[in-house]
Amino acid sequence: MSVCTEPFVPAAQAMARVYGFPAYQFVTMPHPLASLDDAQIQARARDLLPAVLRILGAES
Amino acid sequence: MAGPLPAGGPAAGAAGPALANATEGPPLANATEGAPLANATEGPPLADAAGIRAAMEYYARQGWTDGLPVVPVTESYLAEFLARTSLHPDQVVLAMPHLNRECTVRLAAINAAMAGCLPDYFPVVLAAWEALAGDGYPIRGIWQSTTGTAPLLVVNGPVRTRIGLNCAGNVFGSGFRANATIGRAIRLTAINVFGLHPHLLDQATQGTPAKYSACIAENEEQSPWPPLHVEHGFDPDDSAVTAIVIRSCVHIEARHTQVPEQLALDIAGTIRRTGALVHETISALVVLGPEHARLFASAGWGKEDVRQFIYSRAANTRTDLAAVGKDAVSRHTRWRLPADHPDAMPDLASASCDPDLVPVLNSPAAVQVMVAGADNSGVSAVIETFGPRGGPPSIARVGDIDG
Repeated sequence: MSVCTEPFVPAAQAMARVYGFPAYQFVTMPHPLASLDDAQIQARARDLLPAVLRILGAES
Repeated sequence: MAGPLPAGGPAAGAAGPALANATEGPPLANATEGAPLANATEGPPLADAAGIRAAMEYYARQGWTDGLPVVPVTESYLAEFLARTSLHPDQVVLAMPHLNRECTVRLAAINAAMAGCLPDYFPVVLAAWEALAGDGYPIRGIWQSTTGTAPLLVVNGPVRTRIGLNCAGNVFGSGFRANATIGRAIRLTAINVFGLHPHLLDQATQGTPAKYSACIAENEEQSPWPPLHVEHGFDPDDSAVTAIVIRSCVHIEARHTQVPEQLALDIAGTIRRTGALVHETISALVVLGPEHARLFASAGWGKEDVRQFIYSRAANTRTDLAAVGKDAVSRHTRWRLPADHPDAMPDLASASCDPDLVPVLNSPAAVQVMVAGADNSGVSAVIETFGPRGGPPSIARVGDIDG
């Protein structure tokens, strides 16, 4: 499971092509990440959870 | 074959269209092969300029470029490069396992020719690849980093004069074919063989002008000290290439002084700047102009004295680091961050006898010293480098010079 910010999607897709998985699915989120505080990080994780579960096939 | 050669490796199809898949075939530009261009030094060549342009535009359409026009390469021109080395064309000069791609002697030669190198430059290009492989950072993906680094090549020894590498005035600037094209050969290979296209596998936030080309020679003749390669165990008659990952080139203006401590403090003050601190410590290559090198030497300072002084003075106060939120390090990455960050832990300096003074260098060996530029003013440069923070730089001997 790979999670990346939106500006890195082209690079992530290029790496997926290098490894022969051009349709590899990523969870993406807005930039930036590194400068967020603790509460913002927690909120970000909650926002991403449904997408993570969907890609893992665990949604119900 | 009169058509241009594909510039990438077996994996290049993944990063760009292969020759066979091009929407139109390679132009058969007779002017790219044979006599007309060979006579170029003797007078205006009699060539089909439209054919030359068609070949250059074909390369541009394939994306086999840094943005500037490249030189079309034919099998016969490639053979001139390969004749300059005893290495087999299929020998790998650098592999990037995480990209499943590798550069061979043949691919390095094609891209050197495209960059505008003359065949006589090729042994230097091959030594550059050996030094880059030995450096360790490129094969771990630093060329793709958001930081936006570039490889700097430093050439020492007799090959400098043989192929016309500039070590004097405007050494970081333009105007010298060997400097411009040897550095560019590395960049074109990064793009064409390893697929490091900007906005794709090259994720640099801003990059650096050095990404077009960064190749300098040491001004050994106007240095009071042993040259860089001799300092690290090579013979003065050896020619050698040092490869260093760099981010920035910061100039030092100090035309007013004859006091070595004043000059060394100016350099240390530049090296310690907080904006350069992503990791706990940094490293630097100090490129002294001949006037500054002589100033130190006249006072009895050797390179090691310069290194020791800079090491002892390139430090920030804890207060200054706290003001920019870099007074601690991450327990996960050891990147600098504020002491109140949830991931923060004390830096190494916190356990020293003077915890309020935080060195930016972990040892004197984190500073390399060399001499380049014109002997016409008190100007030098600090190159901010990515390691090694201690230990010798990666240097490779230039082989097959008489091949």
